Formats: sequence, C-alpha cells, structure tokens
Amino acid sequence: MTRKKVKLAFISNDSARKATFKKRKKGLMKKVSELSTLCGIESCAIVYSPYEAQPDVWPDQRGAARVVAQFKRMPEMEQSKKMVNQESFIRSRIAKAADQLKKLRKENREKEVTHLMYHCLTGKGLHGLGLHDLNDVAWMLDHNLKEIYKRIEAVGKDHAPPEERTQQQQLFAEWMGNPGGDQIGGDEMIVPFSDGSSQGAPLWSNAFFS
Amino acid sequence: MSKKPSMGRQKIKIEKILVKNHLQVTFSKRRSGLFKKASELCTLCGVEIGIIVFSPAGKVFSFGHPNVESIIDRYLTTRSPVPAPHNPFHLLEAQRNAAVRELNLQLGHILNEVENERKRGESLDAMRKANQSHYWWESPIGKLGLEELEQVKDAMEDLKKNVNREAAKLVNASANAVYAAGRGGVFEQYETKPSHGGVGSSINNIAAAAAAVNGNFGYCHGFF
Repeated sequence: MTRKKVKLAFISNDSARKATFKKRKKGLMKKVSELSTLCGIESCAIVYSPYEAQPDVWPDQRGAARVVAQFKRMPEMEQSKKMVNQESFIRSRIAKAADQLKKLRKENREKEVTHLMYHCLTGKGLHGLGLHDLNDVAWMLDHNLKEIYKRIEAVGKDHAPPEERTQQQQLFAEWMGNPGGDQIGGDEMIVPFSDGSSQGAPLWSNAFFS
Repeated sequence: MSKKPSMGRQKIKIEKILVKNHLQVTFSKRRSGLFKKASELCTLCGVEIGIIVFSPAGKVFSFGHPNVESIIDRYLTTRSPVPAPHNPFHLLEAQRNAAVRELNLQLGHILNEVENERKRGESLDAMRKANQSHYWWESPIGKLGLEELEQVKDAMEDLKKNVNREAAKLVNASANAVYAAGRGGVFEQYETKPSHGGVGSSINNIAAAAAAVNGNFGYCHGFF
C-alpha cells in the first residue's frame, strides 16, 4: 500500500475523488465491523454519496434500522452527550494535537538543554549563550547534581560492591588489594581528599576497602 | 528520562476480546479512529455520513456530517430512491462548509508541527545516544562508578558557578543599558506596556535576541 500523505481537503479531481471514496468507504465499513465484533457492541454506519441514490449501510438495512431505533429510544441528553459533527470533532482533534505539541516541545527543550549542558561541561561555548539558555542549563545542572548526590549516598551506604565496575575502579581496587612492599608510602593508605585525620574520606571506605 | 516503549502494531484476531480492560481500551481507541476515518471521508469526498456506536458500558457515541439528526431523519424518511432532500438553507450550509475547511487547514498545519517536533526529538535522541558511547561522563548516572560520579559532580558544580557568573554578567549589563539610556530603573519595563523600540523593554529584547541567537544551541559568539 502506497503511503502518500493526503491533504485534508476536498479532492477536486472527479475520478480521483470517486476512487478514494470507494476505497475509504470500504475501509470504513470494515472498521465498524471490526469494532462491533472485537468489543461486542451494537453500531451502524450510514454513508450517502452522489453516486448512488440509496445510502451504503452497515451492517444492513435491518441492522442499521434497529440501531437507529435503539438510539432514538435513549433520552435526548444521553444522545447528545457524545454526539459530534465535523466541526466539533475537528476542533477536539486540534486541541489534542496542540497538547501533544506542547508536551513534545517541552521534552525536546529538555533534551536540547541536556546536550548544551554536556557541551559546556567540556569547557566550551559558555560565552555565546543568552540568559534563557544559561538559566535552563543552571536548572539542568541542579537536577543532575541532585541525582548524583543521591546516587553517591546510595553507593556509599552499600557494603556490596557497585554493580558495574569500570576499568578505573578495577585498577584502583586491585591496587588497593595489593599491600606490602610495592607501596612507597609504607603502611599508610593513600586516600584522595584526605586531610590526614583518621576520618579520611568516608565516601571511599565501604565501597573499596571491604 | 527514558519512556517505556508501547507494544507497537500487533496483529489480532477479529473476535470478541476477553480481557475487560483490553476491551475497553480497544473500544476507546478504535472508536476514536473510526470517527477520524469518517471525518476524513467527509472532507475528502464531500459526502454525508452518520455513525452510531454503543459503548460496552451502554453509553452512545455518534458522529454525523452535517449532523447526526439530519442523517437519521434522511435515513428514516427516504426509503425509496429519492434524490437528496432539497436544502433551502444554502447559505447556512455554505458557511458551515467554509468553517470546516478552515478547521481542516488548521488541523493539517498543527499535525505537521507535531510531526516535525517528533522528528526533532528522534534526532536529539540519536545524538545523545552517540555521545553517550563516546563520552563516559554522559552516561546515565546510574551506570557511573563512584569515582566517576565524584568527577562529574565536581565538573558540574564548577560549571554551575561559571553559569551563574555569566548570567549575573548579562543581567548587570542589561540593567546598565537601561541606566545608560537615561531611564529610571530596571523595573521601568513593568510600568509601561511592552513597546517595540522602547528602552523599558531592553531586557526583554536582549533575552529575546539571545533566544533567537541561540537557535543553534548558542555556539555562536559575539553577543555583546
């Protein structure tokens, strides 16, 4: 099936319009039928065209008449509650699309700002930015830092080794696990950020020295 | 920030759905799709259609062009081959058709924008993915080891200081611009209506210009 994007407008070419009508009407009837079967519900479709005096009807004249009668038996308010015509239906489609667009724009902006943040992280491009971008990058940094603090705390708490050790961590751990004559500093553990006190760097203690 | 992917297109057998929840979801989606198809058929071929659907809960949904009532009336009254009833209200119908045409144009336009935004999102995702495989610091935080986390944390805290500094610079510069032009103060912009060339809107202008300039992530220089 060819997938050409069709403009939502009346087809002025007569033969093209008739061909489209035949195809789409058939498809519409199929969809009504499937809906009825899948969901076990009553429904009908009535299609008038300039090509035939009598409307094309699903399921058939009797079935459609029955559904129409059932419809008319309902109180007026129930009938009109979910009743739409072209105007109202297209309006609601526009509204839904507008919401979708808003959501997508927000998501894309977040992705953009994340990309911008990482770019600036490598030390470039900070000077050409305007206030809007700077504020957004600042926000994204805060957001990420919050996550990082949480994660650092979580990993620090666990006695178990972290799930995925990088090569750096492997080397570090191996080096730490090999005390003795190789170390220049003697018995002292060489711990970064250490201020010499026995507290040392608590963040490192559990993860690596267990 | 990753979304769970939906199940995509599944081929199903056309028979009554047994799981109530699936049935309700299917009804909702397919009814919506059905009306969409009917609406398109009306627009493309200029035909009149009526659809009545009863929900599993017993509520009734209906679609009709020009409207449900007229279709039903037409269907019930004309059972013999008679041409479409003569419509004395030609003007009304013409107006209605014009309104629908206008709405369809609007719809087409906004659907295009949605599609563009979706594509942009995909390319942003691809870019992020590519970067993540090249730069370890762009990996998701959950995948980083402790030492790496510390490094990223330091780099980010550093960057944050720089960003705040740059932002302060910009705010001061625009405030100075306001002063330089001889007006009262930064809050002048709130007292007057936003004018297009006025000094009071200089802050807005700078921010707007910045936003315009930053269409390509602000990699261009020469802002001041």
